[in-house]
Amino acid sequence: MAYFNPVPKLYRSVIEDVIERVRNLFAEEGIEEQVLKDLKQLWETKVLQSKATEDFFRNSIQSPLFTLQLPHNLHQTLQSSAASLVIPAGRTLPSFTTAELGTSNSSANFTFPGYSIHVPAGVTLQTASGHLYKVNVPIMVTQTSGRGGILQHPSQEVFQQLGQPSVIQTSVLQLNPCSLQATTEKSQRIETVLQQPTVLPSGPVDRKHFENTTTDTLVSPGNEHKIMPEVLMSRQESSHYVSLPSVVFSPQVSQTNSNVESVLSGSASMTQNLHGGSLSMSSHGVLHQHRTDSHPHILKNRMYGCDSVKQPRNIQEPSNIPVSKKDSNCQVDLNIQVTDDDINEIIQVDGIGDTSSNEEIGNARDVDENEFLGIIDTGDLKVLEEEADSISNEDSAATSSDNEDPQVDIVEEDPLNSGDDVSEQDVPDLFDTDNVIVCQYDKIHRSKNKWKFYLKDGVMCFGGRDYVFSKAIGDAEW
Amino acid sequence: MAYQLYRNTTLGNSLQESLDELIQSQQITPQLALQVLLQFDKAINSALAQRVRNRVNFRGALNTYRFCDNVWTFVLNDVEFREVTELIKVEKVKIVACDGKSKCFPNFFESKTTLRTLES
Repeated sequence: MAYFNPVPKLYRSVIEDVIERVRNLFAEEGIEEQVLKDLKQLWETKVLQSKATEDFFRNSIQSPLFTLQLPHNLHQTLQSSAASLVIPAGRTLPSFTTAELGTSNSSANFTFPGYSIHVPAGVTLQTASGHLYKVNVPIMVTQTSGRGGILQHPSQEVFQQLGQPSVIQTSVLQLNPCSLQATTEKSQRIETVLQQPTVLPSGPVDRKHFENTTTDTLVSPGNEHKIMPEVLMSRQESSHYVSLPSVVFSPQVSQTNSNVESVLSGSASMTQNLHGGSLSMSSHGVLHQHRTDSHPHILKNRMYGCDSVKQPRNIQEPSNIPVSKKDSNCQVDLNIQVTDDDINEIIQVDGIGDTSSNEEIGNARDVDENEFLGIIDTGDLKVLEEEADSISNEDSAATSSDNEDPQVDIVEEDPLNSGDDVSEQDVPDLFDTDNVIVCQYDKIHRSKNKWKFYLKDGVMCFGGRDYVFSKAIGDAEW
Repeated sequence: MAYQLYRNTTLGNSLQESLDELIQSQQITPQLALQVLLQFDKAINSALAQRVRNRVNFRGALNTYRFCDNVWTFVLNDVEFREVTELIKVEKVKIVACDGKSKCFPNFFESKTTLRTLES
């Protein structure tokens, strides 16, 4: 089991270890045990919410298995074809045809990590989308504390071997589509619809929530309680089941049908997006800043093209305006200074005076300053004043304008200087990456530009997913 | 004392965030949170040393290297990580490595000077 993916088990053991170690510390401080439990819950929730572990929750000892016992006639079929347990969303169990079902009296168990449900015969289940399913055969989903949920069932190997995440995910998740239907004999049709009104990436929180309301899961006829097994696959890779959204158990129906439909119609990619956005129904919600905390709202956004994505853009737009204002201000100030200079002393040939009309006057000035002073004062001054006025008007309008041609030369000087320092920006970006390895080194060797790395005891995080190693040997050329 | 190196991992960051939330709600004191983190350091160090037994090989191009306070920081590009079971390719990876022979370096994250020396 650990061979396949040691990370979830390792994380689990570290969490348990730390909690045990600090138990005494908490007691010494006089802090309640509940706080310690809260810490553990928070910690596990956050680890779950990240993509670090694929099936972290499966290895969780706390999560009870969700065993759906379908009595009669199912065991034999399940034995014959474990793969038949795969039920695509919205479709009936292909394996459970009337002909295939035997007459075995033993019960077949589907194991869902989650909760237990007992659905007595004659119960009508109503899905979130409004479909009604009548349960003719009693369905009992028991809550077990261990992993062993399925008895004498080949697929139980699939379920129990939680260390093989790919297999587990394939079988279990596919058992939890939006509509899970098991059909027995023609006379005995069991249709269990396991719907999900919401997508909850935070598994432990939901489990806790559910555990508090375990008694509410019993469905009585005519009751519109919605029963959904909780398969917390929030981090599950879509490669295993592309078209299936994750199923969440929520005995308290607080979601609207539109939300359910949005989830049902969504593909795993949508789920992935939701999870990628770190959506959380729990109060601990770790959300990106541009997403709201209200769950239905989030789903609706997702359904309607996710307007929340546009919010950052809106925020960015106003920032452009002050910049332009600032630029025009600088230009105006420079203009006024040049104007004063022209009037009083040195007459510039370039700068604001670099126009065809001004050039003639400027050249004349160079020859004989005193002689043309009067003319320059009236003519040139007017031109300069007009330009200054126009610029000041533009400034008040808070727009950068094309009329500032005479100031182009002056404006260009600033960007020229500001482009000198480039290396500063590269360094923080260079070291800011999603892929990080934290480890210890045994030896680092270099020969010319060939580097050899001998590392140990490392934790790697690539794109959110975590890996660990006891030894790592690497080569690189600089 | 164990390395505080592993606090900047998914597990470590989630623990720190959880502790911060409890501090915000005044359920625990910051000193207690620090003690928890110290225990975490010990636990993760020992877990990695004892419970993990796999090897990884990698190859790539070295972009930058930094050695300061006995801590190596590398940035590699176009790296392939090979494990027995799988192959992982990343465009860019940062490796932060503390000295594996010395265990007494708790203030790793407080070091901010940048030096570049080469081992002979």
